[in-house]
Amino acid sequence: MELERFSYDNRIVRNFAYATLLWGIVGMIVGLLIALQLFIPELNFSIPFLTFGRIRPLHTNAVIFAFVGNAIFMGVYHSLPRLLKTPMFSKLLSNIHFWGWQLIIVSAAITLPLGITTSKEYAELEWPIDIAITLVWVVFGINMIGTMIKRRESHIYVAIWFYIATWVTVAVLHIVNSFEIPVTFLKSYSLYAGVQDALVQWWYGHNAVAFFLTTPYLGLMYYYLPKAANRPVYSYRLSILHFWTLIFIYIWAGPHHLLYSALPDWAQSLGTVFSVMLIAPSWGGMVNGLLTLRGAWDRVRQDPVLKFMVVAVTAYGMATFEGPTLSLKNVNAIAHFTDWVIAHVHVGALGWNGFLTFGILYWLVPKLWKTELYSKKMANVHFWIGFLGIVFYALPMWFSGITQALMWKQFNELGILQYPNFLETVLNIVPMYIIRAFGGALYIAGFVIMVYNLIKTMKQGSFVNEEIAEAPALEKFKDPFRKGTRHRWLEGKPVYFLVVSLIVILIGGIVEFVPTFLVKSNIPTIASVKPYTPLELQGRDIYIREACNSCHSQLVRPFRSETERYGEYSKAGEYVYDHPFLWGSKRSGPDLHRIGGKYPNSWHYLHFENPRQISPGSTMPPYPWLLVNDLNTTTTEAKINALRKIGVPYPEGFEKVANAELVKQAEQIALDLQKNGIPAEPQKEIIALIAYLQRLGTDIKTNTQTASK
Amino acid sequence: MKRIINSFALKFFSAVMFFNQFIIAAGESDYPENYYDKVALFLIFVIIIGFLSLIYFESKIRIVKEKQPSVFWAKVRHLLTKSTPIERENEVLLVDHNYDGIKELDNRIPPWFSGLFYATIIFSVWYMLHYHVLGTGDLQEAEYAQEVKLAEIQRAELMRSGAMINEETVTLLTEPAMLESGKQIFITNCAACHAADGGGLVGPNLTDDYWIHGGGIKNIFKVVKYGVVNKGMIAWQNLLNPKQMQEVSSYVVTLQGTTPANPKNAEGELWKEE
Repeated sequence: MELERFSYDNRIVRNFAYATLLWGIVGMIVGLLIALQLFIPELNFSIPFLTFGRIRPLHTNAVIFAFVGNAIFMGVYHSLPRLLKTPMFSKLLSNIHFWGWQLIIVSAAITLPLGITTSKEYAELEWPIDIAITLVWVVFGINMIGTMIKRRESHIYVAIWFYIATWVTVAVLHIVNSFEIPVTFLKSYSLYAGVQDALVQWWYGHNAVAFFLTTPYLGLMYYYLPKAANRPVYSYRLSILHFWTLIFIYIWAGPHHLLYSALPDWAQSLGTVFSVMLIAPSWGGMVNGLLTLRGAWDRVRQDPVLKFMVVAVTAYGMATFEGPTLSLKNVNAIAHFTDWVIAHVHVGALGWNGFLTFGILYWLVPKLWKTELYSKKMANVHFWIGFLGIVFYALPMWFSGITQALMWKQFNELGILQYPNFLETVLNIVPMYIIRAFGGALYIAGFVIMVYNLIKTMKQGSFVNEEIAEAPALEKFKDPFRKGTRHRWLEGKPVYFLVVSLIVILIGGIVEFVPTFLVKSNIPTIASVKPYTPLELQGRDIYIREACNSCHSQLVRPFRSETERYGEYSKAGEYVYDHPFLWGSKRSGPDLHRIGGKYPNSWHYLHFENPRQISPGSTMPPYPWLLVNDLNTTTTEAKINALRKIGVPYPEGFEKVANAELVKQAEQIALDLQKNGIPAEPQKEIIALIAYLQRLGTDIKTNTQTASK
Repeated sequence: MKRIINSFALKFFSAVMFFNQFIIAAGESDYPENYYDKVALFLIFVIIIGFLSLIYFESKIRIVKEKQPSVFWAKVRHLLTKSTPIERENEVLLVDHNYDGIKELDNRIPPWFSGLFYATIIFSVWYMLHYHVLGTGDLQEAEYAQEVKLAEIQRAELMRSGAMINEETVTLLTEPAMLESGKQIFITNCAACHAADGGGLVGPNLTDDYWIHGGGIKNIFKVVKYGVVNKGMIAWQNLLNPKQMQEVSSYVVTLQGTTPANPKNAEGELWKEE
């Protein structure tokens, strides 16, 4: 058979590796900063761009899409051509992909601190960037599918199945969740409202974890683990089983983020059961990874690459057991909105994604630079420091989460909340926050050691731009159906494979969405719920800009401990005009859904000026700029128009008088503040935000007695 | 079943609570004076865990290398994994699978794995039936209603048992049975200082219209509860329950206008019920 000569492009792999290292450091340092801010609020330096709410999404986006994202592309651009025995389809597309993705990251790093955000977690970027992401993703897809079509290997390996599922699902997730109506160049409203928005968002949010942090990394594991261990993959049929069950089941599990919420019960239950059924498919990946190391365990002790990979796969197994546990009703009743969830995601992120990335980098960099690793010892030090970092991170967060939950729910012997003052529960976990920050710092220290080690490795080696390889051309195989199984046949048809994956991942979403959107009884309307006034609407957008939802939920769950603390539990019908929903996912501060009317306007004013002059010891940052900035009312008309288009019943022509109404309401609030000795001016941003807060949850608040202090 | 799960969850969390008591108990004292020792305690805890896992990790690999598993466990393991031993792995090697040098075995799917998968599926079917078809499980609204109802019952119980009684809410009892009970409490606890008929010994006369700390059920209850420590009156709140304090205070009120054998001279101010 005649061999064809071709070459692999190593430069694109190198570029993605550089980007992984750079954004990894940036994302983690931002993470450390916000961890410190949780007990030293002064660390925002009174700069709006550095406040917790604005840079928490910067941290999550940077580590997910910049650090992990670039690591995925590094792995794909390295392994895919080698598994298919062909160069990437187009160098131009590779470069567009690389630079486009970096540009998106930079635009995120600029817009998020500016408060330009949609507020939907892990999908905070505004609509022009959403479009850019879609385009780059399409480029990536064409490049990947093109490479498959040009391949010299008859079948596609399991790593590539995972790449395909990743690409197709992320495309669907991103597009469906990003349906939004633009208001201005950098502001949009989600097409969905309230409960529906929450369902779509957490279908997206959960599956971003599944198809951005999990499936591509399983793909990477299937290439780099057997490579590094030099052992055959343990079980091909297990790969098939866990691949298909994983992608089918994962997509259903989103509603477990919304247990005990206003989401219809049946959808909540589906979220629970599909999470439980996910244990085995997830563990399939772990089992196949760990058992591939049979016969290589003696080397695990010496080889830092394998050490990192073993811990990564184990962390994956732990996190995928903890996830279903957290999805059980009675555990979720305790864990939701607490730091337990933060511990959970970081076991996945630091352990699984971080450690697998490190393992791959320690293996790949010496290969690309044709040399040995500069210092094995340093890599071992990194391993232990990183490992301790994870321990120091996760344990205090577990403690903290359970402490929070127990304190929130504790009644005294008289049937009254033991800790009626929320602040008390925050101050109690401050020590845990200190230790967590220490753990994070350790992890970063390990990362820095790795960067140094890798740079030294690169310096001592010589980089090969194009790696020459040879392989025979692909023969057309005839009637493969007779030769093997159906699945084997499908492995020879990557495009069919993609289509089948698409169908498999669409089912869960469709079953959950369609009834929630179409069946009226799922979201019973409440006659007294009215759209926001123009001033409240502007105030709500400030709430979104400052990302108050980073720390405050707007969802009173149906527990007595919550209704005693906050007031009546939240009903689906209350959110019908909320574009987007703002339920939040973590309570570093109290729930705000029933905040309306609870305190006088002057309380809010002084609290925003400096929370500690009202609540000594509070960890909330001050917002002095809200008192100084004038509210931008030029957008009111466009906002009313946009919202009317997506179903909010503002009367025709209302947009013309909206600003007059806005001024009237603002003057009333300013007057009230002046009466209480505060020289407030009606045109300031804070007036709008106070108007919004005072409206929250009041549409159905009939009995103010239910809200205890 | 649900009860079992709940009780398990409760036990689990009380175990966690055991660790958390350091944190929570300390939290009741003043923040932030003493939280650095909690940090230190926790750091030590984590270092121990880290150290143990280090030893475990390093030693486990050695054990795998050195120790031959017993025949029995090898059998059990084989039953659970059905994996082909490494020495014979060529039997399950897929010869036509070779991807950039990566080969694939085709070991059987471990029975424990299939078992786990089936178990979760059965659980899921049962879960959906339980909550949405048979209606045997309480959904969140029913659960909430239940929780509120239970709290109301407990509250009523507290009201009845008197645990809710304090100096603000206390009322005068008139039922003979309760006054009789108050009398017994008086004789057991109060007679030593106030005399069995309330005429006063060390303590003041309780039968006249003059009161040092104010008369009437609320003031009397307050003195009984908190005492007047510097004058020798004990604070009874930790010795009598609120109901008992109410009973004895009510009994004291009935002593008004009786004629004791050896009345002590009047002390304090003349008290008139408003």
